[in-house]
Amino acid sequence: MQDAELITRARVGDMMAFEELVYRYDKQVLSIAARYVQSAEDAKDIYQEVFMRVYRALPKFEFRSEFSTWLFRITTNVCLSHRSRRKRHTHPSFDGDGDEDHGASLAESIAGEDATDRSAEGAEIAHHIQQAVDRLSPKLKMVFVLKHYEGLKIKEIAQMMSCTEGTVKKYLFTATKKIRHELSEMFD
Amino acid sequence: MMTHRQYKEWIQLSVLDELTTDERELLGRHLDECGECRAELEQLTKFTSRVHQRQLFQPTDQLLQEARQELRVALRLERMKQPIRVTLKTWWEALSSGSLRLAAGGVAMVAIGMLLGYLIFSGGDTSEGSFVGSLEIQETTFSRGETRVTNVRFLASETVEGEVEFIFEAVTPIRMKGSVQDPAVQRILAQALVTEQNPGARLRTVSTLGAYAEQSNKPDQEIKAALIQALKSDGNVGVRKEALRVLQRFPMDKEIQDALLHVLRHELNPGLRIEAINILEKPVVAGQWRNEEIKNVLREKMESDQNNYIRLRARNVYEEVYQQ
Repeated sequence: MQDAELITRARVGDMMAFEELVYRYDKQVLSIAARYVQSAEDAKDIYQEVFMRVYRALPKFEFRSEFSTWLFRITTNVCLSHRSRRKRHTHPSFDGDGDEDHGASLAESIAGEDATDRSAEGAEIAHHIQQAVDRLSPKLKMVFVLKHYEGLKIKEIAQMMSCTEGTVKKYLFTATKKIRHELSEMFD
Repeated sequence: MMTHRQYKEWIQLSVLDELTTDERELLGRHLDECGECRAELEQLTKFTSRVHQRQLFQPTDQLLQEARQELRVALRLERMKQPIRVTLKTWWEALSSGSLRLAAGGVAMVAIGMLLGYLIFSGGDTSEGSFVGSLEIQETTFSRGETRVTNVRFLASETVEGEVEFIFEAVTPIRMKGSVQDPAVQRILAQALVTEQNPGARLRTVSTLGAYAEQSNKPDQEIKAALIQALKSDGNVGVRKEALRVLQRFPMDKEIQDALLHVLRHELNPGLRIEAINILEKPVVAGQWRNEEIKNVLREKMESDQNNYIRLRARNVYEEVYQQ
């Protein structure tokens, strides 16, 4: 069944159709959110906010763009305006590591990746990269994550972020320059 | 003719697999001749491969299942809210047409009359200022310090039968202790927010009012008005920022909407404008707030705000809402 048909059904209250629509894309929504916020709880918050927005706005969806384009535009919007639970509350984060090591949280809670199996050097570098990515401004971080971790094309990112391909390139170049500068000792 | 700088950009695009075949060939020819660019390509390839070490991260199926479960619950709650909205809408439609309209109008007039009567005749003794008279009926306690007389100005240079006439300012410190829920405390704090000279004190006042707003189901109108005034016109950016933070805890209504649009249009601090657009985004996207004014402000911001992040955010929200 096409997206359009599911949307039409969902608009008249068919929740099965809405769920089907969600399941088509929700893995990618969660993936973008998780890589952007680096926290399982925050990623779930974003996931929920995205699909609640879609649910509420679906009756007004006019098929001017692809559903997926609209959905991922909402995803980037929610990510950009998201306030981390760690920033909203001062108590320790979900993985109990306090504020010492935000970068490690994703490894423990999302990926199931066993950092101990990797070389200490590799883990250290990955950790520093993550910190440098986290220090980027929201838009630079979003573009960097979508390109490097989601593997999207510049054209797709431009559609998601409602800007030109030139702007995306500029963001990517700036983000790369900043991260390389921060990690210059490591890469020289 | 390609410049050296353009080739450097192409090197980045090449590593990101964003070049066409022709562009790749052209870059290859340049690399054969340019040692500096070859070194740059090598560095960038190394950097990218390091960055991609983090690519292994994938949300687990368990996390996805949890997210789906939570979404189902949220959707169920959302659907439960809808019948209430529909009922209210039906009621409103019934009231706003036909004979019920006249009866409802009469009831409303009586209620407004009673409210005005209460407000006018329950003011109490106002000889010590509008707020002090009501202090004693609350659990709030207050005590006066010594009055300091300053700025004395004589009105008449000659006196008749020993009479004098002059103006002075009497400053009496009053120590007050009471619940932030007490309307008397709230009124004083709301006044202080508008008249206090010290920005630190105003900031503290806003934070205190914020604590009240958190506890209260139906925050006071006067406090909201004082916070909106502080947001729009306080000279201190910290106070304006705190006022904006506190106002988020109030029910989002037209007055707050107008205040947010005012911030977007006139606030010089980009951080506050970003915050305002973040707050506006949710009700706008949810369809609770949609009108021509919001649309115009968003368009204006995406086209001409000095801050490019605000332009981007405005464009994102605008396109999400108005170009579905």
